[in-house]
Amino acid sequence: MSYDVILSRDSFLLSVELRIFWAIALIYGASLLLHLVHIASRGALAGRAAYLLLWAAAVPHAGLILLRTFEAGRAPFQTLYESLSWFACSAVLTWLFVSRKWKGFFLPGALVSALALGASLYALLSRSPAIEPLSPPLQSWWFESHVILAFFSYAVFIVSASIEISWLAFRKRSDLYGLPEEKLKGFHDTAHRLILFGFPLLTFGIFSGAAWANEAWGRYWSWDPKETWSLITWTVFAVYLHSKTVPALKGTPASVFNILGFICMLMTFLGVNWLAKLLGIPSLHIYSV
Amino acid sequence: MKTRTDIKNIEWLSSLRKALAWSYRKLSSIETSVWLLSLLAISFMVGTIFPQGGDFDEYVKEGGRFVLLVEAFDLLAFFSSPLFLAIALLFVLNLVICTCERYKALFAKRRFPESFAPTKSFLVTQDAIRAHDETRRILNDSLGFRLVDKDNAWIVMEKGLPYRWLTWAYHAGLVVCLIGVLFTFLFAFEDTITLKPGSPQTVIPTTTGRVQYIWQNGSPQTDYHLLLDSFTTEYEESHELDYPDDRKARLAMGLGWKMPEHKMSVDPLFATDWKAKLKIIGGSSTLAEKEIEINEPLKYGGYTFYLMGFEQRLKLRVNDSFMPLDVKADDDVIIPGSTIALSLGTLRTGKAKRLDGTIDELTPYVTVKDSASKDEPAILKLNESIIVDGNIVTLIGFTEQAILSYRYDPGVTILWIGGIIALVALFLRLYGSYYLLAYKVDDADAIVTVNFNITSKGLLASPEHIENRIEELLTAGDLKPLALPEQT
Repeated sequence: MSYDVILSRDSFLLSVELRIFWAIALIYGASLLLHLVHIASRGALAGRAAYLLLWAAAVPHAGLILLRTFEAGRAPFQTLYESLSWFACSAVLTWLFVSRKWKGFFLPGALVSALALGASLYALLSRSPAIEPLSPPLQSWWFESHVILAFFSYAVFIVSASIEISWLAFRKRSDLYGLPEEKLKGFHDTAHRLILFGFPLLTFGIFSGAAWANEAWGRYWSWDPKETWSLITWTVFAVYLHSKTVPALKGTPASVFNILGFICMLMTFLGVNWLAKLLGIPSLHIYSV
Repeated sequence: MKTRTDIKNIEWLSSLRKALAWSYRKLSSIETSVWLLSLLAISFMVGTIFPQGGDFDEYVKEGGRFVLLVEAFDLLAFFSSPLFLAIALLFVLNLVICTCERYKALFAKRRFPESFAPTKSFLVTQDAIRAHDETRRILNDSLGFRLVDKDNAWIVMEKGLPYRWLTWAYHAGLVVCLIGVLFTFLFAFEDTITLKPGSPQTVIPTTTGRVQYIWQNGSPQTDYHLLLDSFTTEYEESHELDYPDDRKARLAMGLGWKMPEHKMSVDPLFATDWKAKLKIIGGSSTLAEKEIEINEPLKYGGYTFYLMGFEQRLKLRVNDSFMPLDVKADDDVIIPGSTIALSLGTLRTGKAKRLDGTIDELTPYVTVKDSASKDEPAILKLNESIIVDGNIVTLIGFTEQAILSYRYDPGVTILWIGGIIALVALFLRLYGSYYLLAYKVDDADAIVTVNFNITSKGLLASPEHIENRIEELLTAGDLKPLALPEQT
């Protein structure tokens, strides 16, 4: 195949990818808007439409990620553009999976769609979609397992925080939004169960990151800002899980810890890049910036 | 007869004992864990706000706003400061004490409440003794429950993974991990070494671990030599994306008004791998050899050798000069007789995978450009020349050296063991299923009822499933359960 053919083929594929990704971002935006209408009007129709739009966006989004995987010939989370896309899609898919048990209750979808829209727009407007070869440190089994599990845990934490925030904000009038009072406890327990599910994944993510750093750079821990923030996130979720066993803390304080954990998770993924740049702190995770 | 001093001593000892007992009680509580973990999280945050390893004088010179705080709490080396170590120590004590307490509880006799609130009840058509026997048979033989307690009116049985052992195991695994971290903190050290092909070198560390430093027992010179046999680099050709910085232009691309374009740059090669064939030589024999690369270190004699990068030196002949210039690649060089600073790129040599999938052996080349100019660089191949400011510059040779870091860290193995224990136990404990079932047969007023109380642990546990199975099995037998009025 001549170079001209390769270059125009890759340009064409990228243009298709960008158009689809923009359309997906638009659908996430529409879903967010309908979620807000649902919150304001308490109308089930708007909630259902918002929910269906999330399905309409997440399925092609997963397809788009698959397309990029084939195009790049590797797992699609080397650059921040790819990670943001993965982050948005995995959060929405996780919510769609979890929400099967809570049919007719759409509130948590608002935060999920807002995050998916934010992540997609950030990727599209601020990052380059170029596909680059893997640099030597990233050519490791540890890289893939580390990132896949860390992102999987992020998706789970997002949905847990969405449920927690919905519970805190609307628990006294949940029936107006389609969740009868007798189901409220079970719904709130889902947030706890999601953390129980995500916590070992995050633990493995941190452990595999340390093992990878040990193989690549000879140091399993170097107090890199990203490493430290992942440890902060882990610690805050450990606080949450322990507080769930203390009678005095298992109610609202535990919920606050869950939301703090979610904020720390966002800080680990995105905020720390900004912090490292702002303070001029060197980071080994600079390739993901 | 006790003297006043004796009494004082006794009082003092008793106060000390009380204080220790109070501390132990506090440190064995989960509530303390919550506060200590919170404190630990806050202290980690502090360490990411202040640049670690920074120089205090530099911080003051640059107009740092928290000079007093930074000095008082050693915030520029926070993770080895007394404040952080004190918080960490308290947390470790809490973790160790909780783990010991859990261990003791594993062997203590388990106590269960005298009465349970039924979560499911069945009216049965048989007498109480038969109902009891049949229920026990079903739970034991068909559902695999083990008897735990039969001393009270409620019979207690369990099934599934031993969650109490697992809970203990992941806490113990974390303790082992912390021991590994402590070993690293006390004994680990690292250094770098640069190897030229064919020149053996002895490993003589210039740093040492904290404990070795205190004992004045410096890191010994190794009794073997390191030899770099060969060094190779592999490249992949990649195209460059012409992507606009402007957000409106990016949106235009999303709307299909503009196409993204790929193009080839002057030097389209991307280093995807570099490998160093390393030999450990002792006397006249080879003790070990391995081709190391990033993510593939060589372990020998307690040390681990990592390939960190490489250094290239170029030999440039200017005009017909007798003495060639020996310069570093990826650096600027002033050509004698010229005012131009020449910016040299990385020397490309080795195998390259082309965009069309073919692989070829490269003729070594380096990119060169006027460092002040924004023009595209030129390519200078081995034994070829370019003209710089009227001077003929020829690349007549090059050398490559491998930069290795090596590390002695006895904590890693301990950390691995602890980490694997903690991870396996954590996954099994949180995902696996465990059921605690209590049942009691009531036969008041000739109505026989079997009451069940089922609790579970683990995400895969489903008490509803167990309840349904019990109902199915009771129906299949001759107990013929009838639903209680409130269950209809």
